[in-house]
Amino acid sequence: MSDKKHQVTRRQFLNYTLTGVGGFMAAGLLVSPIRMAIDPVLKESSSGDLVNVGISVDEITDVPQRVDWTVEQVDGWYKSEPSRSAWVYKDENGEIVALSPICTHLGCVVSWEGSEEHPNRFYCPCHDGLYEKDGTNVPGTPPLTPLAVYEQEVRDGILFLGNPIDRKGA
Amino acid sequence: MKWNKSDMSTYIKAKEYIDTVIVPVIPFQTSKDEELIKDAHAQEVMTFFVHHLEKELSGRIMLAPSYVYLKSSELDEEIKRINAWVDDIQSQPFQHIFFITYDPKWKKYEKEMKGNLLWLPALQSEEIDVTEPRGIIREQVNQVVELIRSFW
Ligand code: FES
Repeated sequence: MSDKKHQVTRRQFLNYTLTGVGGFMAAGLLVSPIRMAIDPVLKESSSGDLVNVGISVDEITDVPQRVDWTVEQVDGWYKSEPSRSAWVYKDENGEIVALSPICTHLGCVVSWEGSEEHPNRFYCPCHDGLYEKDGTNVPGTPPLTPLAVYEQEVRDGILFLGNPIDRKGA
Repeated sequence: MKWNKSDMSTYIKAKEYIDTVIVPVIPFQTSKDEELIKDAHAQEVMTFFVHHLEKELSGRIMLAPSYVYLKSSELDEEIKRINAWVDDIQSQPFQHIFFITYDPKWKKYEKEMKGNLLWLPALQSEEIDVTEPRGIIREQVNQVVELIRSFW
């Protein structure tokens, strides 16, 4: 008797539990569009937008110069303002080039003519990595791929940069 | 690189390239109201400073977690503890260890320290904006980058 009662209870229990789970799932489905709208976890990171990096096109010459700026980045609930940098110049056709300064070897910051022994190149102080002006890695130095290039756009004579795009090895 | 999961997995594979360790040395206290704001601010500026320093040279340096000590504690004792950090760090093929601090008390213990002490004059200005990548901290970062490079 008591055994039977027990079984019923268990079945009821299972029943309730499953209904419960189903119920939650349904609720989840209903809630999700609202959740999408308010929950930053589900929103794309805003760092993909092009931002004004504080330099006008006239200020850019054929000599690479370093520009620093911050982007507001939202990763889930966590909001940060990481700083970014680029080396910016005009190439021989007058086109603007914006290179990431992050060495593709292990990530130090490279500088234009950072070593007196290597004029006309980007130099990485960490393990003597070298890159040509267009960002191509110099064979025989530690980096195996070129410097990344920023997505860019000129709006009203002002340079806007987006994300750095990796390039394949030379 | 930093002392975190992803950087340490890179470290294990590229040890021969990372020969320098940076340890921020930070005094902590909450007991003295008069110094509370100043000390907390110094901590913030130091954290910001080493963050940017690490970014410049991240392929060759490892930024360790900060060495934090009670501001009132005896450095005679702290020097033993900090040197124990050095012993542990030296079990890996690191060549250079730098302790960076705004606390001038360490200067007296420099000789006993098993690493290089970089004492920086505290930037007193309340103006320092720790979200601004340019400006005075940038300058100090550049100078310390040069200094570290001179050891390489
Ligand atoms: S990090 Fe640039 S050469 Fe190694």
